Amino acid sequence: MSEVPVVSLEGVSKSFNGVEVLRDIHLEVARGEVVSVLGASGSGKSTMLRCINWLEQPDRGTVKINGEHIGVDAQGKQMSVRALASLRARTGMVFQSFNLWPHLTVLQNVIEAPVHVKRIPRSRAVEEALALLDKVGMGHKRDAYPYTLSGGQKQRVAIARALAMAPEVLLFDEPTSALDPELVGEVLAVMRALSLDGYTMVVVTHEMEFARAVSDQVVFLDKGKLIERAPPERFFTAPESERVQRFLATHR
Amino acid sequence: MNSQTWLLLLEGAWTTVWISAVSIAIGVVLGLGIALVRMLRIPFVDQLLVLYVSIARATPLVTLVLFIFLVAPTFGIVMNRNLAAILALTLNTAAFNAEIWRGAFLSFSKEQREAAMACGMTPWLCFRRIMLPQMITVSLPGLVNEMSFLIKGSPAIAVIGIVDLTRVTNRISAVTYEPLPPILAAALLYMVVIYALIQLQALAEWRAHRLAV
Ligand SMILES: Nc1ncnc2c1ncn2[C@@H]1O[C@H](COP(=O)(O)OP(=O)(O)OP(=O)(O)O)[C@@H](O)[C@H]1O
Ligand SMILES: [Mg+2]
Repeated sequence: MSEVPVVSLEGVSKSFNGVEVLRDIHLEVARGEVVSVLGASGSGKSTMLRCINWLEQPDRGTVKINGEHIGVDAQGKQMSVRALASLRARTGMVFQSFNLWPHLTVLQNVIEAPVHVKRIPRSRAVEEALALLDKVGMGHKRDAYPYTLSGGQKQRVAIARALAMAPEVLLFDEPTSALDPELVGEVLAVMRALSLDGYTMVVVTHEMEFARAVSDQVVFLDKGKLIERAPPERFFTAPESERVQRFLATHR
Repeated sequence: MNSQTWLLLLEGAWTTVWISAVSIAIGVVLGLGIALVRMLRIPFVDQLLVLYVSIARATPLVTLVLFIFLVAPTFGIVMNRNLAAILALTLNTAAFNAEIWRGAFLSFSKEQREAAMACGMTPWLCFRRIMLPQMITVSLPGLVNEMSFLIKGSPAIAVIGIVDLTRVTNRISAVTYEPLPPILAAALLYMVVIYALIQLQALAEWRAHRLAV
C-alpha cells in the first residue's frame, strides 16, 4: 500500500466574481517531496496554494492534509473554527510579503504560535525557536523588531516561524519576489537546506534555477488548469505542452 | 487665596478627576465592546448600535446629563447625581471611542491576520494576541484625545448640582468676591491633568514607531 499523500487536492475549482480561477485541480504531494508551482501571473498559483490551508475556500472539490479533510468534512459540512485552526496548525505558510507581526520581536514571532496554539511550555519553545533561528542564520537578531530587518532577514524569520510549528508541509508563495536581487540568494539557500532536511514543500516561484535544482516535481498552471506535471529534468528540457514550451522560452 | 479655598478647589478637582476617570475607563472598554459587536454585523443589533453612536455623538453633554438625571426617575430608577454624571459621560465617550476602535479594526492588516490563521490561531486568539496589542497602540492617540475632550467637557455635570472643578470656582468667588484667582487656579489644575494625558500619548507614539513596517 502506498503512503497517504501529505497534501491532496481532488477536483478543486474556485471562482472569484464569476471568473473561474481554478479549474478541476488534482494534485498530490508525497512526504518529503518538493513541488514547484510555475505559471504566468494570474494563472491561479497563489489561489491554489491558499486552498491547501483553506485561506481560500474552494467552490468544489476536496482538500486533504495527510488524508484528513480540511475545511469541509467528507459529508460536505463546514468544520468548526477550532477544527480548522488545528488542521492549519499542521501546515506552515511563508508569504511573499513576510507578514511578520511588527509588535513582536524576532524570537516572540517564532514562539507565538507554539506557545499559544500548541501550548508548548515557554522555555522549551524558546529553546526550539533559537535552534531554528540559528538554522536560518538569524539567531543574532533574536531581540530585534521586524522593522529593523532587511527583506531577506524578515523572510528567514518568517521561515523559522513556519518551522516552529513542526508542520507536515511548508507552503511558499513567491517567497523571494519582494526581495532586492542581492537578497534572494540567502532565502533560496535556506529553502534548499530545508529540502535536503526532508521537508515536504510546495513552492510557488518564478525562480527557474531553484525549481530545476531543488524540486522533485514541477507543475504548471495555465488559466486555472494544471496542464503539466513532470520531474524537473523533463519539465525543463522536454515539456509536453506547447504552452509550457512557450513559457520556458520567455523565462530563460 | 488662602488654604481654605485651595482645599475647596482641590476637592472640586478630585470630583472632576474621579468621575471622568471612571467614565473614561468604562467608556474605553465599552467602546471596544461596541466596535467588536458591530464587526459581527448582527442584524438589528448593528442598526441599534449605529443609532446609539449617532445620537450620543450628536447630543451636547449638558443635554445628555440633564436628560439622564431627569428621565431616570420616571422609569422608577433612583439615580444619584454622581451615577447620572458617570452614566452620561460614559455614554458620550463610549460612542466616540467605538468609532476609534472600529477604525483600528477595519484598517488592520489582512496579511498579518492570514499569517496568524496559517499557523493555526483561531480568530479569537488572533484578536487577543496579534490585533489587540497593535490596535491599542494605534488607537491610543485618538483615545487620549477623546479623554481630554471628555475632561474639558466635564463641567457639564455641574448642571445637576455636582460641584466639580469649574463649579467650585463660582462658589469660592461668591465668598471672596475675587473671581479671577480661583479661575486661574482651576485652569492650572486642568492643565496638570491634561498634561498627564499627553504624556500617555507620547508613550503611545514611542511604541507606534515599531508598527510602521
Ligand atoms: N480575493 C480575490 N478576489 C477577486 N479576485 C481574485 C482574488 N484573488 C485572486 N483573484 C484573481 O484570481 C486570479 C488568480 O489569482 P492568483 O493570485 O491565484 O494568481 P497567481 O498565479 O498567484 O498570480 P501572480 O503570479 O501574479 O501572483 C487573478 O485574476 C486574480 O485577479
Ligand atoms: Mg500569486
